[in-house]
Amino acid sequence: MASKRIGVYICHCGVNIAQNVRIDDLRAFAAGLPGVRVAQNYMYMCSEPGQEMIRKDIAENRLDRIVVVACSPRMHEPTFRNAMKSAGLNPYCLEMANIREQCAWVHKDADVATAKAKSLLAAAVTKVSLLEPLEEREVPVTKTAMVIGGGIAGIQAALDIADSGFKTYLVEKDASIGGHMMQLDKTFPTLDCSACILTPKMADIKNHPNIELLAYSEVTDVKGFVGNFKVTVKRKPRYIDENICNACGSCAKYCAIAIKDSFNAGLSKLQALHIPFPQAIPAAYVIDPLACRYTREGTCRQCEQVCKDLNAINLDMQEHSIELDVGTMIMATGFEPFDANRKPELGYGRYENVITGMEFERIVSASGPNQGQLLINGKKPKEVVFIQCVGSRDKTVGNEYCSRVCCMYTAKHAHLVREKLPDAKITIFYIDVRAFGKGYEEFYDRVKGEEVYYRRGNVSEVYRKGDKLICRGEDTLLGQALEVPADLVVLAVGLEPSPGARELGQLLKLSKSPDGFFLEGHPKLRPVETGSDGVFLAGCCQGPKDIPDTVAQAGAAAAKAIIPLAQGMVKTETMVARVRAEACRACGYCVDACPYDAIALGEVRLGRATKTAAVVNEVLCKSCGACSAVCLSGAIQQSGFTDDQLLAVIGAIGKEY
Amino acid sequence: MQDAYERCVYLERLGLFGCVQCGKCTAGCPINYVTTQEEPFNIRRLVYDVLNAPGEELASEKHFLWQCTTCGTCSLRCPKDIKPRDVVMNLRSILVEDGTLPPAIRDVLKSISINYNPWSLGKEKRAEWYKGLELKDASEAELCLYVGCTPAFDSRLQKLARSAVAILQKLGIDFGIFGTEEICCGNEIRRLGDTWSFDALREANTELFNGCENIRQVMTLSPHCWNTFRNEYPGLKAEVLHYSIFLARQLASGALKPAKEFAKRVVYHDPCFLGKQNEIYDEPRALLKSIPGIDFVEFDRNRENSLCCEGGGGRMWIEIEHAPERLANIRVRDAVEMGADVIAVACPFCLLTLEDAVKAMDLEGKVQVMDILEIINTTI
Amino acid sequence: MSSFEPKIVAFLCNWCTYAGADLAGTSRYQYPPNVRVIRVMCSSRINPAFIINALLEGADGVLVSGCHPGECHYTSGNYMARRRLVLMHRMLEYLGIHPDRFRMSWVSASEGAKWAEVVTEVTEAVKVLGPNVIKREQVWMQQSL
Ligand SMILES: Cc1cc2nc3c(=O)[nH]c(=O)nc-3n(C[C@H](O)[C@H](O)[C@H](O)COP(=O)(O)OP(=O)(O)OC[C@H]3O[C@@H](n4cnc5c(N)ncnc54)[C@H](O)[C@@H]3O)c2cc1C
Ligand code: SF4
Ligand code: SF4
Ligand code: SF4
Ligand code: SF4
Ligand code: FES
Repeated sequence: MASKRIGVYICHCGVNIAQNVRIDDLRAFAAGLPGVRVAQNYMYMCSEPGQEMIRKDIAENRLDRIVVVACSPRMHEPTFRNAMKSAGLNPYCLEMANIREQCAWVHKDADVATAKAKSLLAAAVTKVSLLEPLEEREVPVTKTAMVIGGGIAGIQAALDIADSGFKTYLVEKDASIGGHMMQLDKTFPTLDCSACILTPKMADIKNHPNIELLAYSEVTDVKGFVGNFKVTVKRKPRYIDENICNACGSCAKYCAIAIKDSFNAGLSKLQALHIPFPQAIPAAYVIDPLACRYTREGTCRQCEQVCKDLNAINLDMQEHSIELDVGTMIMATGFEPFDANRKPELGYGRYENVITGMEFERIVSASGPNQGQLLINGKKPKEVVFIQCVGSRDKTVGNEYCSRVCCMYTAKHAHLVREKLPDAKITIFYIDVRAFGKGYEEFYDRVKGEEVYYRRGNVSEVYRKGDKLICRGEDTLLGQALEVPADLVVLAVGLEPSPGARELGQLLKLSKSPDGFFLEGHPKLRPVETGSDGVFLAGCCQGPKDIPDTVAQAGAAAAKAIIPLAQGMVKTETMVARVRAEACRACGYCVDACPYDAIALGEVRLGRATKTAAVVNEVLCKSCGACSAVCLSGAIQQSGFTDDQLLAVIGAIGKEY
Repeated sequence: MQDAYERCVYLERLGLFGCVQCGKCTAGCPINYVTTQEEPFNIRRLVYDVLNAPGEELASEKHFLWQCTTCGTCSLRCPKDIKPRDVVMNLRSILVEDGTLPPAIRDVLKSISINYNPWSLGKEKRAEWYKGLELKDASEAELCLYVGCTPAFDSRLQKLARSAVAILQKLGIDFGIFGTEEICCGNEIRRLGDTWSFDALREANTELFNGCENIRQVMTLSPHCWNTFRNEYPGLKAEVLHYSIFLARQLASGALKPAKEFAKRVVYHDPCFLGKQNEIYDEPRALLKSIPGIDFVEFDRNRENSLCCEGGGGRMWIEIEHAPERLANIRVRDAVEMGADVIAVACPFCLLTLEDAVKAMDLEGKVQVMDILEIINTTI
Repeated sequence: MSSFEPKIVAFLCNWCTYAGADLAGTSRYQYPPNVRVIRVMCSSRINPAFIINALLEGADGVLVSGCHPGECHYTSGNYMARRRLVLMHRMLEYLGIHPDRFRMSWVSASEGAKWAEVVTEVTEAVKVLGPNVIKREQVWMQQSL
């Protein structure tokens, strides 16, 4: 093996690295390491002049291996690979030593940080001299996308992808799309009618030639990788054929079983056979199997008789699964309002007139249980108290985050109360008011001007005194505890991840942030990407947000999901496992170890003879290295992480420099 | 001079910076409820003061510190996990160290070091409650009945201890007591801020219990004793249970079967040290509801929302001056309004404070305060 | 003896703990400098021989850290690693090496603070054990040759 010609490039990262690591020491040290022909340092290696420095040295000094001593490879490995590629060098002959995240930022003492940087640098130089050039391959992409979750986030993302010409599946677990936005009455700060701006988009979903809506369905399995996912979707039985049903509703009149109306937040009842709400998409009825007398007891079938002509009802419908090929996916599973029963001291579930913000939306909505009249037990409340931050910013329930919408929706609610009840006394207890969006502070000002008492401090407990509820809180500006009587108490419940999102996330190998929502690829620079290539995030599944932010993020996720579809090809893993057939014992240990079934035993040619040995399917291999760890003869090796390379690194990193 | 913060043994001052001044602690505090607007007891304000206090002046001048019942409501309600109650306990410990104490508290602490009980009574007086009873020594049984100081000395509460004995005997359970050798658990002492005496009591008790190899379980009469044994005695080998948990298990297994009627309307008052602080809400209710003929009702303010009776945290020995109203009175009035015949409690302190309130309000014929032990004992 | 600064070699999976260590950096959590990180794509790449090798080559302790169970980027790699590496403690004992010199942990991409904690704990634990004997003997042998 000809000796390698290595270039080492040490980055100052402005002062980020340079202030804690002695760059000159490090450069002198690098220059003395075996194989190193060039050792340079520069203010910002990732900048264009920095990259140009590498390209120039490759040409002038015939460098064939590059070590960049800078930040995390998770950040800039692609940057330097591209620079090498454009200088005609194989991009896989690169190694990075991460002295920013692992030295400069975590060790204040410059001696210590510099010493540690040296050993990381030495290890990188050792490894790079053993790296082999690797070839990049591409495979064609299935030009179809899937969006999971049919709230405003999923609807917007599906429409954007479909509009750009790609087929899109929209999977929604409920009987209709629309999500929580459909339940809202008005939206802050403009007071647009929520349903009026949402239903046209829902109709577009139904009518779009590129969109296939799979409502009442759930994703149960995901295989494959970016460009070529295989998704199993479970289609729950609706018992009514959505393609035949014309939503005439005759059947529902005959259904005698009443259930809680979850669209109205449980405040009213509907039949076991029902349409979730009048504007539902698909515009078809559905039967709740947990309530239907026939599915539970085996007798009834009244409704079938009514629909004899169209014959849309089929009570023998069975659950079934379909498998779909898609290239990219968007998660849009949204949120679930915080369960106020978890704050028992606030009286929810104990007093009828303590309700959540979501229930309030339904009560004041013209399509709600009271046709929009604000009545509590049939009476107009005279005194209304709002309590903010319920289930948010609260360690006792494990939610440290701010839910971001409840300050504003509470202001909106106060406005709606004032509109409906000009004489009501309205009090809002708050810790801080977060009115950060466009037009939000102005809206907050406007609401305060409508004689709404904002009391700085929060309510500790709610109890009954006579026929009133008493909200006991402290006005911390006065430094005095207050007892505010109320006929209606509205809890500004926060947002939590949707209940099934966790399992779904595991199928897609998505990480969660400590708040339980899905973790984005990078908090600043990759806000809609995830750790799984080809899977993107939109809306509240990534964290609480309002509708404008949700829609913006959905558009961004759609654009990202379109890229591989438009390119038509995706790169497969490069650092795949390779087999030296002559060493292989054909034991099959690697076959068992591979999580992707990428290895099989097969006949291979060795010179003129043939032999049984492990064979890797390079398209399926995802480059985890599990096979290499179990191979006793060292025959199967993950490129870029071979036994030789790792053992050499272990040797180099353990030494004193 | 030593910085006052450093003397706060259990206080992490930096933790206090997380306070968002929401006031939930103050609004939930029962003592804020009964102090006047002119002289409010404001725990949120105290947290803020400690945060900004210039070292030494921290605890001095804060005589109202003795008003806190250490009920723990503030810590329960705090969304930021600040534990304001521990701030009170820590400031008290500074006062204890400096010796600037109200005389009543000084007597309690003195009695602890001399008599191993807070009631300034000689050790031999502990034998009074079991006069005439033939009971085993704790070292000879698997279950130890730990009666605690107040039930041992107070004539009204001695009935309670005897009820416990009667119930255990009727159930055929083998148990023993420490008798005159029993030592104060130190719960109130710790709440009063005397961490030094508390440490001594803890050591002595741990030695006493662990020294008796037979003891598997300890049953306490008071949730206060149980609280400290459970949460502040890391070295204890035996399992310690408040009697409500012990008896609820007997109920679940079928061993305990209340058979005689108790045809009264009974309302249950949650003791803070059982409920709010240790989340035992269901067991006492299960016991009461199992009694034939009982008309069980709930206070509007129950469970997590219960109202403190003002008996804890050393408040057995200290009165608030010019309090417009006592919490125990509110409780009793609510019970009478509901038509309750009996206010059931599961704590000796609650029993005393509520009974005092009944007497003070001249309601003796109307409503009666009973411990669950006493009620159960009449039904089996 | 109290000035003994152990050397800890840590194998981190790219997707979780390596990213978590990056986050620790971005969040400026300070932790002991004793740890040297080797990046692998998945904890399942780690072969017991690597651990023994690290101990022979100068490490006083070895840490393997990956994604939380159920969250491995490659579905099940960390289960495989865990199955293989729990035996490691017994093997080390057999070799006369204190088993506490080896540890596995799960640190996700969002747990920067936890990474700092794990490093601190491991460093403290190995500090208590003192220098690794096999390594020391090797040095001694080299000197006497
Ligand atoms: C009381 C209240 C008032 C509000 N008022 C306003 C306002 O005035 N203005 C404003 O801008 N914002 C407001 N918001 C916020 C607004 O509701 C959200 O920004 C918006 O609904 C987020 O949309 P989404 O699509 O991300 O989530 P969601 O609306 O929750 O939609 C998620 C969808 O995914 C589906 N789903 C979940 N899991 C799965 C699964 N496993 N498989 C398939 N499908 C699944 C759900 O059924 C649902 O249809 C309010 C929120 C609340 C709680
Ligand atoms: S948005 Fe307002 S009400 Fe909601 S959690 Fe944040 S601060 Fe509290
Ligand atoms: S590296 Fe080996 S085990 Fe991993 S996916 Fe590729 S072939 Fe399978
Ligand atoms: S422990 Fe109870 S009495 Fe003391 S400050 Fe807290 S809430 Fe008030
Ligand atoms: S409840 Fe907690 S956060 Fe709120 S003011 Fe009291 S101590 Fe501070
Ligand atoms: S990728 Fe992290 S353990 Fe497998």
